[in-house]
Amino acid sequence: MTVDSRKKALHHFFEKVVDALGYKFTPDEEMADFLLEQEVMLEKKHGIPFCPCQPITHERAHDMTVVCPCIPFHRKHFDLMKRCWCGLFVHKDVTDPDKLPQIPLSETGLA
Amino acid sequence: MKKVSMYTLSTCPWCKKTKKFFAEQNVPFDYIDYDLADEATQQRIISDMERHRASGFPFVMIENDIVEGYNPDRYAKLLGL
Repeated sequence: MTVDSRKKALHHFFEKVVDALGYKFTPDEEMADFLLEQEVMLEKKHGIPFCPCQPITHERAHDMTVVCPCIPFHRKHFDLMKRCWCGLFVHKDVTDPDKLPQIPLSETGLA
Repeated sequence: MKKVSMYTLSTCPWCKKTKKFFAEQNVPFDYIDYDLADEATQQRIISDMERHRASGFPFVMIENDIVEGYNPDRYAKLLGL
C-alpha cells in the first residue's frame, strides 16, 4: 500500500470514528494532509498510527493514549480546546482552526 | 538575550512552527527532537516534562519559564519582543 492510499484509508476510517465523538477533520487541508502523512510514517515504523505531536514512551499504558484518534483518552481536555492536541480534528462547529490555541492540560484546571 | 531551548518532535507541525518563529525573530535556540534521540535522552526529556506536568510537544524553555505548545504570543512576551 502506498503512502497516499494509506492516508486515504486512515482518513476514511478516522472520519467515521471522530464523527461519533462530535469532531471532524480540520478544515485546514494542508495541515490535515501533513499530519496524516506523519501518521502513516509512524505506522510504518511502529505498526500503529500514533499522534505526531505526543511522545511515544514505549510504556504500553501511556502509548495507547496517543493512538490516533486519541480523543476518547483526552476528552475533557480536547473538548475545552475544541481540537485535539495535534489539530487533526476539531469540533464540528469550528470553521477557523487558527483561532484554537494549544492549551496545556496543566493550565486547564482539569488535571 | 534569554536562553531558549526546546524539546520537539520531527513529526509535529507545531514544533516546526515554533522553530520557525524563533528563527524569524533571530532568536538563537537549541532543540532536541525527542523521536530522533537515543533512549537515555528520551527518558531525560520525559522526566523533565513530567516534572512540569507537561505531556505534549513542543516544550519550550525560555530561561526558567516553560511554555507547552505552540504559543507565539507567550514566547514574544517572555522574550520582550
